[in-house]
Amino acid sequence: MARVIKQKPMTIIERLYIFEAMRGLWTTLKHAARGLFRYEELPTISYPEGQPEVRNSYRAKHRLMLRPDGTPRCVACGMCAAACPAHCIFIEATQSDDPRIEKRVMRFDIDHLVCVFCGLCAEACPVDALRMDTKQIVFEHRKREDFVAHLADLTDWDPKDYPEDAQSQMAPGGTKNAEARKVWGMEVK
Amino acid sequence: MDIIESKSWVEWLITIAKFAFCFVPVLYILLLIPMERRGAGFMQDRQGPNRSYIKVPYFGRIRLLGYVQNMCDGTKLFFKEMFAPKGASKFLYYVAPAIPFAIVFLSPCVIPWFGPMVFEWGGKVVTISGSILDSDVGILLLFGFSSLSAYGAVLAGWASKSKYSYLGSLRTSAMTISYEVCQGLSMMGLLVLAGSFSLTDIVSWQEHHVWGIVAQPVAFFCFLIATIAETGRAPFDVAEGEPELVAGYHTEYGAMQFGLFYMGEYSHICISSFLVATLFLGGYSVPFVTTETMQAHMGGSLAILCWVLAFLALAFLHMMHRYSKKLAASRQSNKNVILQEYKLYKLVGWVAALVFIAAGVASWMFYTPEMAHTAAGVNTIGTALGTAAIHLLVLVVKSVMFCWVWIWVRWTLPRFRYDHVMNLGWKIILNIAILNLVVTAVVAKLLGGN
Amino acid sequence: MSNYYNMPKLPTESSPKVEIFVDDKAVMVPGDTNLLEALKAVGIETPHVCYHPYLPVSGNCRQCLVEQEGPRGRMLVIACYTPVAPGMKIYTPASSARVKNARKATQEFMLVNHPLDCPICDKAGECTLQENYMECGQNEGRLRPEYGKNYHGNPAHQFVDSKGQVRGGKHVDIGPRILLDEERCVQCDRCVRFMRSVAGDEQLQLAGRADHTYITTFPGEKLDHEYDLCVTDVCPTGAMTAKYFRFQKRVWLLSHTPTISMDDSLGANIWIDHADGKIYRVMPRCNPEVNRSWLSNTSRMAFQNFNKNRLPAIGGISVMKDAIASASGKIALVAGGECTIEDLAALRMLKETLGDRAEIFAGTLKVKSEPDGIAKSGDPMANRAGFKLLGLPDDNLYDLAQHVSDYSVVVCVNNDIIGEGNKSMDAIEKIPTRIVLSAFNDETASKATLAFGIKHWSEVQGTMVNSLNILQKLNAAPTAPDAELKPAYEVLSELAGKPFTCAYDAFKKAAEYAPALAGLAYDTIKSTGLHLEGGNA
Repeated sequence: MARVIKQKPMTIIERLYIFEAMRGLWTTLKHAARGLFRYEELPTISYPEGQPEVRNSYRAKHRLMLRPDGTPRCVACGMCAAACPAHCIFIEATQSDDPRIEKRVMRFDIDHLVCVFCGLCAEACPVDALRMDTKQIVFEHRKREDFVAHLADLTDWDPKDYPEDAQSQMAPGGTKNAEARKVWGMEVK
Repeated sequence: MDIIESKSWVEWLITIAKFAFCFVPVLYILLLIPMERRGAGFMQDRQGPNRSYIKVPYFGRIRLLGYVQNMCDGTKLFFKEMFAPKGASKFLYYVAPAIPFAIVFLSPCVIPWFGPMVFEWGGKVVTISGSILDSDVGILLLFGFSSLSAYGAVLAGWASKSKYSYLGSLRTSAMTISYEVCQGLSMMGLLVLAGSFSLTDIVSWQEHHVWGIVAQPVAFFCFLIATIAETGRAPFDVAEGEPELVAGYHTEYGAMQFGLFYMGEYSHICISSFLVATLFLGGYSVPFVTTETMQAHMGGSLAILCWVLAFLALAFLHMMHRYSKKLAASRQSNKNVILQEYKLYKLVGWVAALVFIAAGVASWMFYTPEMAHTAAGVNTIGTALGTAAIHLLVLVVKSVMFCWVWIWVRWTLPRFRYDHVMNLGWKIILNIAILNLVVTAVVAKLLGGN
Repeated sequence: MSNYYNMPKLPTESSPKVEIFVDDKAVMVPGDTNLLEALKAVGIETPHVCYHPYLPVSGNCRQCLVEQEGPRGRMLVIACYTPVAPGMKIYTPASSARVKNARKATQEFMLVNHPLDCPICDKAGECTLQENYMECGQNEGRLRPEYGKNYHGNPAHQFVDSKGQVRGGKHVDIGPRILLDEERCVQCDRCVRFMRSVAGDEQLQLAGRADHTYITTFPGEKLDHEYDLCVTDVCPTGAMTAKYFRFQKRVWLLSHTPTISMDDSLGANIWIDHADGKIYRVMPRCNPEVNRSWLSNTSRMAFQNFNKNRLPAIGGISVMKDAIASASGKIALVAGGECTIEDLAALRMLKETLGDRAEIFAGTLKVKSEPDGIAKSGDPMANRAGFKLLGLPDDNLYDLAQHVSDYSVVVCVNNDIIGEGNKSMDAIEKIPTRIVLSAFNDETASKATLAFGIKHWSEVQGTMVNSLNILQKLNAAPTAPDAELKPAYEVLSELAGKPFTCAYDAFKKAAEYAPALAGLAYDTIKSTGLHLEGGNA
């Protein structure tokens, strides 16, 4: 389906070039003046020392949400692995010791070297266990193996880093953990 | 020994001291390199190079607003190994970079740095020219000097024994020839008006009539474009197109040989901007004020100069303060180091501001007309020196402005194709320049009659 | 004992064709079956939960509703219990919104109290409810959230969860191999019917009425039967799950290889479900003539040992050749029941190469029992009919035991003669050179002078003839623990000096020995097998 894009013929002003050049010069002059007189308003950040502002919707490194008792919420259903276009999630399930939870995750590996950070895994999660809101955008490790995040890495996060998120606050150490603990648990009639 | 005794020691001192102006382009290199790098950064919303630092007690890591980076780069270039490619003509290969750099020291000789100093010394009225060599054909000399720098490029390209270098030097020579014609012809109108080839005369004509940019706006544009083209900078950098010719005539050069080309290019810009400022922006003349008026109110003039400088220092302090405040509120991890560094800049800024204010007040209050002029109405040496200082400063400001134009144009406009460059030179600018010359000559004849 | 009074009549190739009108279009369907099967025969799938082709029709799920034109107008009838009659007019959802809505409503009712367990349910991915939901349900949840799920089954298993919903019956231990989740149960009573009509041992029952119904065993008893794992197959939901497969693998990650279970001469058709070179489960493969949809626990659980105690691959065929060539006495070639036709062809070729010095022995020392009528013939020698077909003896091991002194070399293929517990076979050890080709490092292999690892039957391509004289095809599952392992026929043919490059070479060789196989190719053997001439062997 070829599409022919007709280019607009240049007007006489544009063909003269000098006025267009002036427009360009005006643009760069504005930017240069901002840099000189409003240095602090430059959008560039001094990277390693200054960190960029990461939005909540940014798909950063994964984390696994925790129940009030500290176990990962993940039930090892494999929906994330099924949704993953890069096939970088490896899950093994096992029987849970907790009678209230039948299935728990035994192994949860995400190979971040393979991951494309599309966010489909977090979308697919039926129990809101997998999230990509850590805002951790930098990965630096010595070895390739270190880029594989294991269950321990994924559940190692601090509720204090997510002050606005009520779900995170229900995890141990969070502000809502105590009341969540009371609700958590199935009391047999 | 007549020739020595014909002048007093003060005259000799000033005449010899004027040779220091030969080093102005070299000093300009030190200014232009950071200006280009950080200016380019600002235009692209970057910060520019600002990481290198010197450790200083108390203030910590001093980066001199990014200036240390250029010192580091210079040091690196200086200590790199020099080598010639196999099959190169060794002598010419090593000599070629020196040519454009050597020209740098010749060109400033004919530029009038300040108006002729006229003062009374030892009962005699002494007159000292503003340029080192006050020639009647100063402008021709200047063109001659700056054309010489093309030899450096030609020789370098030829001696390198590299196709890229050779093609690059061919293009350079072709372009230099083309645009020198344009340059010369576009300036002719002004010479017709001024009626002299002497740069000093041209400046004084502008001072007493009108600036060249107003009298000859078309010529100004043509001359500016031709001069930018002659320096071989973007958008006319056809000699060193990266996709086609790698780095043009200096492809095979490294270390300080390359550094010499690099510095030669910047000093060429410097000379060119001095030339444009001199020809079209009234040279050393202060806008709207004649030299005589200024000398009549010497104390006030110096005071205003000092206060302008003090204002600049205060503005710098204000920007520093604003930026420190923002930085202190940010979460940047090294902000305390930077704030400590800024203390030094603020200190320097305050000292400069106070000194300039004080100097302004002093000259305002204590530089009385009695000190400025003798009873006969001739300037004292102090007034003459003060005038020269103001002139020099004004010229520097104007030339720096044009240096900025070079940088500004380079980082804005995309480069032209080679045939476009030639078309522009021979078919457009040359014709406009000739037309401008004819019109100017006719109008000048009709109106002026000289 | 068995209750076959309303078993569905399934269409066969010889069913008479009758004309009925489906959505006002005339189609020819098998005339001696029910509507559901008839529609299936013309390519119209009808969603169903309780109907199973090999179980008596119960008709309780009401999911297979279609509309039928009758004397009193168009009525909704269940397709599974409506016999086909010539000229009947049927309307499917393709033309009738009423059928569509009825099915949708049925589906919605079924899911009202069905827990949202799909993420942790082992049935997810092959669940009839999920399929039906996608096909005819897709309801929006209309339940008010404050009501939530309400489980009213077994009161002893009820609890209130953290959201305040009445839940219950999770992972009830109903037997040694089965876990029951009462909450997921939709009371289709397939398992009850299976145990009653097929297994013949009515261990499961429905208790309670209406939405209090739940599946249970008799008090104090457990579900424990040779065929009890079949209830996990027939269960349309995740209510009955096998303990061995619990949380092992999501089913959509499994690859399926159709093959034959070689531990019984009926040759039950199975799927080997594997992933990453590991077998996760074995499922029955429907073959109406052999094992229908059933599989015994023994055959099903056998895979757990397929990759254990394996003999490694050793490239020492020349050693074996030398041992055979330098034999002073006679050579005994002993074959086991797991040998495929291809292995036997290679063995017979080896015997012909060696000439009169060699003699073939075969058979098993395991006890032969009676056919159970479900999925087992009781004969542990799987390919006995194949031995007969190729003209090899199939029960002369005792001859070998009595004449051990005549033999100086024994080559034992896939036959754990010593390990099968018969003392008379210990005499084999008197033969000086004992070569064993076996997948496992079993007792015979450990007492051998030369033991060579070969591929297990689950990893080879081949054929076998079962006790019904049906030629069945085995396919190789890519689960061999060692890539160096070779199938037995390759090793044997190399010993004979004319190596087979593939299984089909061996099969062609077998066709030379057995005229019944002549002209056959693997492609001509259907997945349900090929009847060989000559009736039951």
